[in-house]
Amino acid sequence: MKVLVCIKQVPDMESKFKINGGGTWFDETDLAYRMNEYDEFAVEQAVLLKEKLGGDTDLTVVSIGPERVKEAIKKALAMGCDRGVHIKDDDYFKKDSFQVASILHEFAKDKGFEMIFTGMQSQDRGSAQVGPLLAEMLGIPSVTTIMEFAFEGGVVSVKRELEGGLKAGVKVKPPVLLTCQLGLNTPRYPTLPNIMKAKKKELLTSEAGTLLKDKELVTAEKMYYPEKKGGGLVLEGDVNDLADKLISILGEKTAVLK
Amino acid sequence: MTDTREIYWNVGKSVLLPMYSIAGIAILILIIGFLLRLKVYKKGKELVRTDKMISRIAGFISDALLQAKVLKVWSSGGMHALFFWGFMLLLLGTTLTFIQADITEPFFDIRFLHGSFYKIFSLTLDVAGLIAIVMLGGLFVRRFIIRPEGLETRLGDYAIHLLLFTILITGFVLEGIRIAATEYQTNMPLAFFSPVGLAVSLPFTGMDAASLSSAHRYLWWFHFFVAIGFIVFIPFTKLKHMFTTSTNYIFTDRRPKGSIDTLDLEDENVESFGVGTVKDFFWKDIFDADACTECKRCQDVCPAFNTQKPLSPMKVITGIRETAFNSPENPLANALSKDALWSCTTCRACQEVCPASIEHVNKIIGMRRNLVLMDGEFPGPEVKTAVENTEVNGNPFGLAFASRGDWAEGLEGLTLADGNTEMDILYFAGCYASFDKRNRMIAKSFIKICRSAGIKVGILGKDEKCCGEPMRKIGNEYIYQMMAVENIEKIKNSGTKRIVTTCPHCFNTLNRDYRDLGLDIEVEHQATFLSRLIKEGRIKLKSDPFDVTYHDSCYMGRYNDIYDEPRQALKAIGGTIVEMDKTRDNSFCCGGGGGRVMAEEKLGTRINAERIRMASATNTHVLVSNCPFCMTMFEDGVKAEGLEATLWTKDLSEIIAERL
Repeated sequence: MKVLVCIKQVPDMESKFKINGGGTWFDETDLAYRMNEYDEFAVEQAVLLKEKLGGDTDLTVVSIGPERVKEAIKKALAMGCDRGVHIKDDDYFKKDSFQVASILHEFAKDKGFEMIFTGMQSQDRGSAQVGPLLAEMLGIPSVTTIMEFAFEGGVVSVKRELEGGLKAGVKVKPPVLLTCQLGLNTPRYPTLPNIMKAKKKELLTSEAGTLLKDKELVTAEKMYYPEKKGGGLVLEGDVNDLADKLISILGEKTAVLK
Repeated sequence: MTDTREIYWNVGKSVLLPMYSIAGIAILILIIGFLLRLKVYKKGKELVRTDKMISRIAGFISDALLQAKVLKVWSSGGMHALFFWGFMLLLLGTTLTFIQADITEPFFDIRFLHGSFYKIFSLTLDVAGLIAIVMLGGLFVRRFIIRPEGLETRLGDYAIHLLLFTILITGFVLEGIRIAATEYQTNMPLAFFSPVGLAVSLPFTGMDAASLSSAHRYLWWFHFFVAIGFIVFIPFTKLKHMFTTSTNYIFTDRRPKGSIDTLDLEDENVESFGVGTVKDFFWKDIFDADACTECKRCQDVCPAFNTQKPLSPMKVITGIRETAFNSPENPLANALSKDALWSCTTCRACQEVCPASIEHVNKIIGMRRNLVLMDGEFPGPEVKTAVENTEVNGNPFGLAFASRGDWAEGLEGLTLADGNTEMDILYFAGCYASFDKRNRMIAKSFIKICRSAGIKVGILGKDEKCCGEPMRKIGNEYIYQMMAVENIEKIKNSGTKRIVTTCPHCFNTLNRDYRDLGLDIEVEHQATFLSRLIKEGRIKLKSDPFDVTYHDSCYMGRYNDIYDEPRQALKAIGGTIVEMDKTRDNSFCCGGGGGRVMAEEKLGTRINAERIRMASATNTHVLVSNCPFCMTMFEDGVKAEGLEATLWTKDLSEIIAERL
C-alpha cells in the first residue's frame, strides 16, 4: 500500500512573534520551528499502519516550504517514513489553502496513494482546509478530525470528533484522506539509530513553481495583533466580602441578575 | 633452652604430604572458581584501568590495607577493620610459620621463630586472634540479632560466620592443648606470651599426656579441614570480596569525579547505544558488581530509597551481578525495573559512601541511555516534552529561545558577548536563571555583586542554550551533544577567557563534560568565585549576625568537594551556620538532579519535602543553597510543608547581594 503523509513545519507557538514588513505574515527572525503538532499524529498513524501491515507498505512524507522544512521531513523519516519529498517554496506563506492543496494534488495525482494522512489543521494558519481540498481534487473521500483509527479487512474504521463531545464512527474504503486530531495517538520519540538512518533515506526536492497550476482564491489583506481590551479582575479578601463584591459587579456591569 | 615452639608438634612431619596435597586441591578450586568468574567479567567491553598505577596502588593501601572507606561508618566499619587486621596478622603469622617450617629450615637450616622475636610473634598472634573473635562476635550480633533494616542475610553468611568462628576457636584450643602438654611442663614463663592460649589451656592441665596428644591430633585435622573449607568457599560466597573488593580499589575510576564517557554518535558501525544487556557494560562494571558486599550503605544514603521509591543502589548492583552470572541475555532494564533506573537523581551519595569503590551512577546513566536512545522511552510524557522543547528552543520549558536574555534587560554592567566586547567573565546563566521567575533573582543578584566588584560581565543572551546536563543524565546523549556543540561554538566565538556559572549543573558540564567536545576555557562556579571576591576585599559587605543552614548541592559538594568556600562566604557576612544532620559529603539531594528536575515525582514521598524537614529541624529561618534546581525544589518543598512563614530559601548570591 502506498501511503502519503502531508506535513507542515510551523513556528513554535511560544516564539516571539513580530509582524513582517509586508504586514501580511510574521517576521521569521528569532522563530524556532517544529513539525505541526497535528501532523505528528498523522506521521505516527502512518507509521503504526506500516508496522501493522508490514512488508510492502511505503510511506512518503511531503512538505511545502523553504529549505528549513527539511528538518521536519527528517523527523518524519526518523519516526519511520520511507521517503521524503520537499516541495521548495520560499513564498509558501503567500499561498492560500487552495493553492497548497493544488500543489499537493499536482504532486500526488498520478502516484496511486491509497491512504493520505495529514493534520486536521496547521498551528500557524489554522484553516483546516488543505486536507479536504486535496481529497476533492483527487476525487477521493476524506474524513476529518479523526481520533481513533483501525484498518481491518480492507476497511478503514475511524472515530471523528464532533461538536459538544459527540463522536461519529465512520467506515470507509481506501483510497481515502484522513485528517488527524489530538488524542489519536502519542507520537513516538525517534530512536538514535533511526535518526541516523533517516539521514540516508531518499529526500527528493522539487520546485513549487512547477507544480502550481491555480491562482489563489483568498489573499491576506493584513496581519495584526488583537486589540487590547479590558483586562481581567482578580478579587481578593474574605470570602463573604468577595461574594458581595461579585454580586455588585454582576449587577452593575451585566444583565444576568436582571 | 631457647624460647620457641615446635612446629608440627604432636602431628609430626608425616602430615606434610596429605596436608599440602589437600591444600593444593583447595587452592586449585579457589583458582578455578575465580577463573569462572573472570569469564563472566570478560563479557563486558574492554576498558583500560591500569593507568596512573601509583595512585591506584596508593588507593589500594588506603582503602584495602588501612580500611579507610570501610571506617567511614565507625561502628560496623570499625568492627570489620579490626577483624580484618586481626585476621591479616594471623595470616601473616601462619605464613611466617610456613616459611620457617617448610622452606628456610629444611633447605637452609635457618630458623627465626625463637627468642624475643618468637615472644612478640606469639603475643601478637594471640591478641590478633582475640580481637578477631571479639569483632566477629560483634558482627555476628549485628547481623543476626540486631538485624539492621535492609541488611539481607543469605545462607552463605551463616556459613561464613560458622567457618570463621570455628577456625579461630579451634586455633586457640589447639594452642591451649599444646601449652598444657608442653610449656606447662617445661617453660611456663613462655606461656604468658600466649595469654589466650594459656587461658584456654587451663581445663586441659589435668589431662594425661596421651589424651592430650590424641585430642590435639584430631582437633588439628579438624581445624585444618575447616580452614580448607574456608579457602574453597571463597569464590562461591561473599568471602570473594577479599579478592574482588580489594582489587576493585586498584581498578577504580581515577578520572575527575563525575566523568561520563562521551559517546561517538557519528560512528556508523555502532548499532546499539547505551547499556541494554550485560555485554554493553565495560568489564569493570561487571567486576564492580562482584565486588559488592551488600553492606547496604548506599541504600541507607540514597534519597530515592529513603523516600520509598523503587530504587536501591545496592539492588541495582546485585541485580547486575545476578543478570551477568545467570541470565546475561536478559534486558537489564527489565531485570532491574525501569522505575528504579528512572528514580536516580545521580546525587552520587551511593558512590561516595561505597566502601567497595563501586561506580553506581554511570551504570544507571548507561542503562538510561539505552532506554532513551534505542527505545525512545522516558520516565514520563512530561520529560519527553521537556527534551523535545530543548531540541526546538534550547530550554526544557519550551519558551522562546529569543527571550533567553530577557532577564538581563535594563541591567547595568552587562554586555552581550559577541566577540567584539571586552569582558572579564562570561556569565553562563543556564535555563533556570534565564527563564524561571524565582531563579532570575539569582542571576540578577550575581550581576549586582559583579558590578559592585567592578567586574565586566558578558552573556550570550539568545545564543546560549541549555548546557544539556539534565538531558545527558536522563540518558539523551544526542540532545546533550547537540546543545554542547552549539554552546561551545558560541563560547569560542565570544572572546571569552573565563566562564562563571551560578548553576552547579552547568558548572560540571562546562568544566568537565565539554572538555571531551573541545571546550578548553577556565570555568568556575559562583561559590568559589564570590568567596574569593569577599576574601580579597573586592566587595564591601554589611555584616549583621544571622542564623542560617547551608545545603550542599550534590554537584558542588560530592562531585567537586567544594564545601568550605560557600560556608566561608556565609560566615564573612555574619552568618552562623547551623548544620543539618546530613551535610557536606553526606548531604541529602533536593531531588532535582539526574534530569529529575524535568520529571514529576510520582513514586513514593517527595525528596524535597524530606530535605525541607531536615532544614526546618535546624530552627533557622534561612536555607541557603547554591543551585537553581535546589532552589526550585526547595521552593516547592517549603510550600508543600506549609513553612512559607518560617523558612526562606535563598541562593548564596542573593544573600550576599542583599548585604552590599
